[in-house]
Amino acid sequence: MIAVEVVDLWKKFRIYHERVLSLKERVIFWGRQKTEDFWALKGVNLTVPKGTTVGLIGRNGSGKSTLLKIISRILYPTKGEVRVNGRVSTLLELGAGFHPDFTGRENIFLNASILGLTRKEIKERLDEIIAFAELGDFIDNPVRNYSSGMYMRLGFAVAVHVNPDILLIDEVLAVGDLAFQEKCLAKIRELQHRGATIILVTHAPKQVEELCDLAMWLDRGEVRMQGPAKEVARAYAEFVGGAAG
Amino acid sequence: MWQQLKEIYAYREMLRNLVAKELRARYKGSVLGFLWTFFNPLLMLIVYSVVFSFVMRAQIENYAMFLFVALLPWNYLSASVLQGAASLVQNGALIKKIYFPREVLPLSIVLTNLVNYLLSLLILIPALLAFKIRLTAALLALPAVLLVQTMLVASLAFLVAVANVYFRDLEHIVGILMTVWFFLTPVLYPVDVIPPEARPFFNLNPATPLMEAYRAIFFYGHWPDWVALGKLAVALAILLVASLWVFDKFKRNIAEEI
Repeated sequence: MIAVEVVDLWKKFRIYHERVLSLKERVIFWGRQKTEDFWALKGVNLTVPKGTTVGLIGRNGSGKSTLLKIISRILYPTKGEVRVNGRVSTLLELGAGFHPDFTGRENIFLNASILGLTRKEIKERLDEIIAFAELGDFIDNPVRNYSSGMYMRLGFAVAVHVNPDILLIDEVLAVGDLAFQEKCLAKIRELQHRGATIILVTHAPKQVEELCDLAMWLDRGEVRMQGPAKEVARAYAEFVGGAAG
Repeated sequence: MWQQLKEIYAYREMLRNLVAKELRARYKGSVLGFLWTFFNPLLMLIVYSVVFSFVMRAQIENYAMFLFVALLPWNYLSASVLQGAASLVQNGALIKKIYFPREVLPLSIVLTNLVNYLLSLLILIPALLAFKIRLTAALLALPAVLLVQTMLVASLAFLVAVANVYFRDLEHIVGILMTVWFFLTPVLYPVDVIPPEARPFFNLNPATPLMEAYRAIFFYGHWPDWVALGKLAVALAILLVASLWVFDKFKRNIAEEI
């Protein structure tokens, strides 16, 4: 079974030199707007079998996050196709969509529903989410009183308890203190054991080696290398080390 | 289209939560809290009653109520379109981070204002009784009238929301257009003061039969003009389908354009 299949994916962004956004200006500058095309992805192919964890690695601006956003349907491809089998949950930013004046509990309902859960599903998971977030009595305080660590714990707790078939993670593991990172990693391993498919964006070759089965190294929108996680991670580490030295 | 509606339905809990958020967040932290929802129409009512009974005497009997009955649904329309225009751009951060059917955002604005309208009935009905206006069985037509109006409101909210992503000054243009539309719609005045030669023009305005219908059921106590309402419903059903289609067509690039 294939969980995610990316076929010959191209993504073009239009870079505006001077962004013209109003109707007035659009009429005045009709057809004279200077734009430049930027290809963020150039013919990327990726097949993710169900239950595997894939690491996307590469430098800033290599197209990793763009690829992740296209798989999660936030962005749409210019050319090519993405096929996804199963429920997707995306972790791009922890706690996106929280309302500062609402309590932690209210935000769980709000956030989980934005991620597509029904009321019944949220109720079933509520206790588990609260336990995971380790907020204690703070759960009934407005989240604007939360420390950034508490905020992130709650955001992560909601997102992973969607019980996605496919979890997309964009570098959120780099935030938070060590204990929180450990906890996130443990949860990811648990999801792996349960057969979830995970796609992980990271700069850190070590994380790819530890967590992933497969890896893809992106360089300026093109696939530089693809294969078993260990090989790709080492080649990338060598390349980055070489470039730095 | 079917797929689109199914997806919106799948996210009904999000819709519900957004409406609850809008209703509560607006007044959260204020001393009187949710009561503000009622103060708005109540103050409006008091001001109009005083002005039109003592200051500027209108020729229409019970002019304050005549106005109030139409002004409340007009506010539902106008607030939805104005807030709907901003709904996608304002939630840009969310749109860039999480996938969900984008239709939910303008739709939540429409439903929030619909709920606000329904709550304002708690002021309107006692006020009508206080002014000794007889309430009749014609009130049973309210759900039908509201449904037809909601079709108009939702269509416009979808269209202005997605257009505003591409043309940011649309929000301000919409504000001006809504004011013009307000004066072209029989809210402040009855429909029979319109000169006959201008009637065909006014009949093109979908808000006219709606305002007439509200006045009929609340103020005059008779049934609305079902033929006019039926025709409008058919036209608005087409508009709603078209606006969903347009929204679908342009929603793909929302995350990039915001």
